[in-house]
Amino acid sequence: MIQVNNLNFSFGTTEIFNDLNFSVNQGEILSIIGPNGCGKSTLLRLLRGSLKVGGGEILWGSTPVKEISAAEMARNVAVVPQSSTIYFPYKVRELVAMGRYPHRKNRLSFQNKVDLQAIEQALVMTDILPLAERPITQLSGGELQRVLLARALAQNSSVLFLDEATSNLDIDHRLELTELLVQLNREQQTTIVQISHDLDLAAAISQRILLLSEYGTIVDIDSPEKVMTAANLQKVFRAEIKVSANPITGTPQIVPLVNNSTHQLKGLQIHIICGGGSGKTLLRRLHLAKANITAGPLNQGDADEAVASVLDITVAKETPYSPFTEKTLAATDKLIQQTDALVITTQWWGIGNLACLDLATTALQHGTPVYLLSQQQNHDFTNGPAWQKILQLQREGAKVSNNVDHLLNQLSIPNKG
Amino acid sequence: MNKGQATNWHKLGQMLLLLSPLMAILISLSAGSLDLSWRELFAILFQGSGSEVEQVILWQIRLPRALLAGLVGAALSLSGVTFQAVLRNPLADPYLLGVSGGAALGAVAALTCGFQSPLVIPLAAFIGALGALLLVYLVAQAHTCSSHTLILSGVMVGSLAAALLLFLLWQAPADATRQAIFWLAGNLSLADPDWLSWGWLWVAIGFMLLWSQSLNLDLLTQGEETAADLGLNVGKTRLLLFIIAGALTACAVALAGLVGFVGLVIPHICRLLWGPGHRLLLPFSALLGSSFLIVADAIARSLYAPAEIPVGVVTAVLGAPFFLYLLRRKGGGL
Repeated sequence: MIQVNNLNFSFGTTEIFNDLNFSVNQGEILSIIGPNGCGKSTLLRLLRGSLKVGGGEILWGSTPVKEISAAEMARNVAVVPQSSTIYFPYKVRELVAMGRYPHRKNRLSFQNKVDLQAIEQALVMTDILPLAERPITQLSGGELQRVLLARALAQNSSVLFLDEATSNLDIDHRLELTELLVQLNREQQTTIVQISHDLDLAAAISQRILLLSEYGTIVDIDSPEKVMTAANLQKVFRAEIKVSANPITGTPQIVPLVNNSTHQLKGLQIHIICGGGSGKTLLRRLHLAKANITAGPLNQGDADEAVASVLDITVAKETPYSPFTEKTLAATDKLIQQTDALVITTQWWGIGNLACLDLATTALQHGTPVYLLSQQQNHDFTNGPAWQKILQLQREGAKVSNNVDHLLNQLSIPNKG
Repeated sequence: MNKGQATNWHKLGQMLLLLSPLMAILISLSAGSLDLSWRELFAILFQGSGSEVEQVILWQIRLPRALLAGLVGAALSLSGVTFQAVLRNPLADPYLLGVSGGAALGAVAALTCGFQSPLVIPLAAFIGALGALLLVYLVAQAHTCSSHTLILSGVMVGSLAAALLLFLLWQAPADATRQAIFWLAGNLSLADPDWLSWGWLWVAIGFMLLWSQSLNLDLLTQGEETAADLGLNVGKTRLLLFIIAGALTACAVALAGLVGFVGLVIPHICRLLWGPGHRLLLPFSALLGSSFLIVADAIARSLYAPAEIPVGVVTAVLGAPFFLYLLRRKGGGL
């Protein structure tokens, strides 16, 4: 019903979409999900023509969206915005009545029987009849969202666009309104396109899910089971997520792995070889766990160096964008000799930082435990030597971790003893 | 207070408001340097008694004056309502978009060039006002007329006009300066009565056009995007509303100078009393605005009779405390 072909769009020089292709089918519930700032709301605006496409086309049936007038579009599609800034104290009923605007017969009011009936029904369906005479300036956020939904229902359109329309609602009204949407979809064949942050609810009611990446590209558009896989979601949201089947409905259910483990490393001396942002998380966590941290070698201006200097961590520093010199490496070695444990979080290996691995080898020979965080062979840009050294370290007793929590657990054990 | 009673009070209030311009005119007719009691007034009005002087004062001086005040009050209130809704800004008033500056510049330019005729000055003010509006519009149009750009460019055009105005006053002869200051403070005695019927025609057309846009105004208060989503052609409608409101303000300023306060506060008072729906708000604001200015003018004429104090002083001194009282009683919700 809505066909998007080769859509391009930019805000000024910031490109939002490049060559987007998908369609919205008549009578389906399509949920758009994706991280903050990926262009979900912009996409919804483009679909209804309130923003002009930069390139490509959007067709409603066979009509390009730019040829549809505002009035005609309002009869096709009703929009429920995220929220609305309210300056004037209209009564709830008056605000809902505005939904009749595209159908009005008379310039001054909506007084005919069809209008009045549509307005009352919308009030009843969204459970706000008791609020009908209240000024909207006195409503709570959740009540206002229901009023905005009621206005959209009064519009009596065959398509509904919702932009996080249930995000402010408490659980009972969220379920109630979600059921209402499902019923509108099943019984009146209303096509619903919604932006949702509630992934479980989206999975439960949508025929299809459109997953956008943070770069505004379509990762996948298909049934919830196919789109909402742990791999897809972890890639898009960059978070530890597990997906299981809901035990009752069988639809995909998101289990975010919230980290609530506790670590006490007070007094433990730890040196970290990091760089390029690979050590940020560990530095923060160790700081919270009250460990005594040293780090290096690090180039000045490196992302990790910035974090370390804010957290008041002693760092063996090198001038910006330079390979590590003998002097810096010697300073680092001195720090490592005083430490209880050495952690290597550096992800990318080249000629410039290869010597760091030799420092680890020396440390291991002196009996200092060495931990390696998430090392990968394809991050070796020395054509082999780096990876060889990493394997050698492991053979000599360096411990391997794939995430920060696991590493922290390992570090805690000797400390507890 | 139960709901039925509340509705009855509202009905009564509305009835009183419908009659208020008539009562205001009667007050205005009885006020001034020649004191007339109510009985004398009614005798002159309905039985044609009284001296010839009294007849002339009543019919040819005081009645046109009251009608002029009513016209200006209605025009300012209507454009105040419109600007506040379209710009979604409760602090918007008819002078926000540089209209006042342009009109003042036009009028003072005419005064300092030696035109004293009450036929010429309103015309010069009118042209100045429309010139300023056009300039504001041309600047804002480059940014699709968003309300922020409109307000900013209006304020800038207003400042530019104010600077030029000060320069004109600086180099003008003293009597022209004095007259200009009188005009700037709002003065209903300067305009020629010949302009009256033209002014009323202008305001009547403006009112009908605005009233036909009531629903569109309601929609615009919800923001551009929502209004467009509900099917309104926002750009076209907003331009139309600016032209009508700008023309009404230009008309009021041309005839009476810069009468402050009415256009800012009458819409608020009406909104507090009858809600923000424009179908009722527009006519009630026009009625209350005209009654208010008629009475304010009567007070301005009679307080230090035969001298007149600027009507703008009276509007502010009368209106501000009442508004504060309403605000305190009804609470926020502007």
